[in-house]
Amino acid sequence: MIEINNLEFSYGPKTVLKNISLKASKGNIYGLLGENGVGKTTLLTLLCGLKKPQGGEIFVDGRAPYDRQPSLLADQFYLADEVSPVHAKAIDFARENGVFWPNFDLEKFRTVLAELEVDSEQRMDAMSAGQLKKTWIAFALACNALYYYMDEPTNGLDIPSKAQFRKAVTRYTSEDSTLIISTHQVRDLENIIDPIIILDNQAVLVCATTEEIASKLYFDYGTEAHPGALYMEQTPGGCIQVYPNTTGQESKVNVEAFFNTVHAHKDLVKGMFKL
Amino acid sequence: MNETFNFKRFWTYFKYDIRQMWRGHSKAVVLMGGSVAILYVVWALFALVFNQQWATPPFPARIVTFILAFMVLEFYQTRTYGYLTEKKAGSAWLMVPASRAEKFVSMMLVSLIVLPVIFFVAFFGIDAILSLVDPTYGKALIGGFMGKLFEMINLMSSLGAESPIEFTPANLAFPMAVGYFCNFLYFILCGVCFKKNKIVGSIAILFGVSVLLSIVSGLSVIHYAPMLENMDIDEMQLAQWSANFLNWMVAIECVLTVGLGWGVWRRVKTLQH
Repeated sequence: MIEINNLEFSYGPKTVLKNISLKASKGNIYGLLGENGVGKTTLLTLLCGLKKPQGGEIFVDGRAPYDRQPSLLADQFYLADEVSPVHAKAIDFARENGVFWPNFDLEKFRTVLAELEVDSEQRMDAMSAGQLKKTWIAFALACNALYYYMDEPTNGLDIPSKAQFRKAVTRYTSEDSTLIISTHQVRDLENIIDPIIILDNQAVLVCATTEEIASKLYFDYGTEAHPGALYMEQTPGGCIQVYPNTTGQESKVNVEAFFNTVHAHKDLVKGMFKL
Repeated sequence: MNETFNFKRFWTYFKYDIRQMWRGHSKAVVLMGGSVAILYVVWALFALVFNQQWATPPFPARIVTFILAFMVLEFYQTRTYGYLTEKKAGSAWLMVPASRAEKFVSMMLVSLIVLPVIFFVAFFGIDAILSLVDPTYGKALIGGFMGKLFEMINLMSSLGAESPIEFTPANLAFPMAVGYFCNFLYFILCGVCFKKNKIVGSIAILFGVSVLLSIVSGLSVIHYAPMLENMDIDEMQLAQWSANFLNWMVAIECVLTVGLGWGVWRRVKTLQH
């Protein structure tokens, strides 16, 4: 379990995260959403221990990530937005690095990589940015970690690969694994992320499951305008409207529309989803 | 699980680190070691072109090449782990499941022992092969080098009768080793601290410190020279002062070496991306 209490972090005079408190339970794929510069990457790097909290604390199964204890590092994997090219073949890279993760499965690496259509015998320093990202994704999943922190994992992937990524994440992560995926490409991942965390300037606006969201907000895909709509967006076949769910009707959450609703009515929505 | 230092995990990490080093830096280090072969070819070519005769580099030229190549190896230490300051590669390194102490010890072993050994083996190995293959090349540097070193030590030891400075291979080896570790650690520290211009930056600092020390020592000489002129100092006293001065220099270098090592450790411990 991940526990964040009153987390604070600044870059010089610019405060990025202030008084952030959050709990993330095992076995979920969290979608971490937010505008540019609100601190999504910073939060992920704090969670994995690449940065030291300047205030507050983080505990992952009772361990502080910044201590970088080998046992915690072996339980987690941080997939950066931009990954490093390695002067080796993909398979050699996996074989040499995999030894540090006790549950690493080389066969799984080969399988995921093949599904992502990358040759495991190819040298990583000769790969395109997309192929390199796919190799790191395959390696991450083959590590069978308990905690995954993924920063924009679908950036740089072509359209078929995005679908393959979704499939791989749902198929190759265990039920105990917790994933926190930061993304701007909500459409790429909206079918797999649940709960959703929306980060705003220095605060968490929402951390809720799609079920909770649907119980409080109604997503109307019809053509008739609703007078109480908090958000409305024209689509080719009609429109999407979001308004408070006063009748308890069920609807399918549209993550992008939800994000825009939160963005347009921060205080109102924050009040609805009190943390 | 021991979170601070586990020998099994360290061994796994050390092997991994050596593989990474071999992949990334072996070519450059072997090239530095191969500088003696480059010297041989260039020397012979120049002799053939300009003098129309076969000639091989003499002993002093090979010694100078060795010193220059060794200096390049020292500067190169800024690059061995310089990637730690890069966001992508540095982050990946920090996330490898090994403890900070294991990573630090491995870093020290690779930088201070493994890389120099590769260099020495390449340099003296190629030199020895050239000496075996070409009779005009002369004795292998390793034999001659060691011979010269012992000659020097014996000469110094023979002076011991009149001088309180006692030179033995053992007490000569210690200052040399301290100097070696101090220099290497300085460049390693610069490599893991500077984000850009690692070599230029580290040399610039050395240059700045040298200028500062020259000014201080110059001013000291100007200040103390008149006092020394009026003093009645015999040779033994001067030798004693020299010995004390050398001992102090070695002691300062020891402190500096420990400080630099501590600096590298602090950097490894607190590095963030």
